[in-house]
Amino acid sequence: MSLSFFDQFTSPCLLGIPLILLSMLFPALLLPSQSNRWVNNRLSTLQSWFLHLITKQLMIPLNKKGHKWALILTSLMMLLLTINLLGLLPYTFTPTTQLSMNMAFALPLWLATLLTGLRNQPSISLGHLLPEGTPTLLIPALIMIETTSLLIRPLALGVRLTANLTAGHLLIQLISTATTALLPIMPAASALTTLILLLLTILELAVAMIQAYVFVLLLSLYLQENI
Amino acid sequence: VLHTTRPLHTTLQRLAPLPPLPEKGGEVRYGLIPEEFFQFLYPKTGVTGPYMLGTGLLLYFLSKEIYVINHETVAAACILSVIIYGVKKYGSDVAAFADKLNEEKIAKALAVKNEAIKDLEAAIEQEKKEQWRAEGHTYLFDAKRNNIVMLLETNYRERLLTVYNEVKKRLDYQVAMQNLKRQKEQDHMIQWVEKNVVQSITPQQQKESIAKCILDLKALSKSAQAAV
Repeated sequence: MSLSFFDQFTSPCLLGIPLILLSMLFPALLLPSQSNRWVNNRLSTLQSWFLHLITKQLMIPLNKKGHKWALILTSLMMLLLTINLLGLLPYTFTPTTQLSMNMAFALPLWLATLLTGLRNQPSISLGHLLPEGTPTLLIPALIMIETTSLLIRPLALGVRLTANLTAGHLLIQLISTATTALLPIMPAASALTTLILLLLTILELAVAMIQAYVFVLLLSLYLQENI
Repeated sequence: VLHTTRPLHTTLQRLAPLPPLPEKGGEVRYGLIPEEFFQFLYPKTGVTGPYMLGTGLLLYFLSKEIYVINHETVAAACILSVIIYGVKKYGSDVAAFADKLNEEKIAKALAVKNEAIKDLEAAIEQEKKEQWRAEGHTYLFDAKRNNIVMLLETNYRERLLTVYNEVKKRLDYQVAMQNLKRQKEQDHMIQWVEKNVVQSITPQQQKESIAKCILDLKALSKSAQAAV
């Protein structure tokens, strides 16, 4: 089949049945579920070690009330990590390239942190709008700026993830198209392009993992301010 | 898990003890295709059978353009080479790390058990020592008993000594009294005799005795020579 550059970003559909839900839930099938053994196989041991590492990293800066968020943040991290990494395989659809999904993650979670802060400690929450030690004249302008930056956070979270992944995938497509097109004409240039593609693939692997981590880390930071 | 709906004889019969995990995973060739597939085809097609099947399928897909070579193929080649490189290079290390995690878990539990055993053995040693000490108590009590008896004996003898001394003092007093009385009587008599004798010496007798003494002295002085 002939693929255009944007076929990989269309929501998958088989015989008229939308498969988007399946593509979002599938990565969970690949992870081992909990067993009732004390000593597990290697995969389960590594998974529990990794989950323990992530949870520790995310929860150390938070106070005791913030530990209620442990489950949602850790599971979000695992979901984004698996979706991003699986998206690097050929012919796979990456749900996190859809802005709708990322905004659906970012906006409610950010709003939850904001409302928690406003409900439990409103003055401290609003106090974050003015950094310490600002000159008196700048205060009104700075409050406007900080409010804008606060309100743009969910947009930033969603768009950051979408843009990074979409751009990465698109670059992979473009460079591999260049490789394929150059192969009959100038094999040497094609080889060079393949080298670039290899480096880009390694970068994309890193970006996939980092973006998932950054998303969750920023959410935990917003939580720290507000809890 | 709804335990009533399982196949009765082929699933796990009891929840504990769990059957042990197998030592190694299933054998795979080229990391993807299980050995059982090759064994399955071996009776009919020999060793090269699965490879012929694979090559045939691949060429079929390519020639009939069921699989089209496009840019995704190149991307696929890249990501697969990266993955295979990663697995080959770091696979054994990751497996060793996972094994180390499990080993540490087991070692911690074993350490607790060994610690408990050591503490109990030390307690047994202590108990044995205490029992030996308790045996020695009889000797201790004997020595103490002897001590007390000796003290009592000493005390008794001291008191005996005191009694003896007191009695002796009384008797000495009586003896001394008698001696004193005798002495006094003697002295008194001597005095009386002397007094009477001195009184009875008349002047005449005094002159005679003095003249006699002088004559004796002269006689002695004649016989004795003074030493020079």
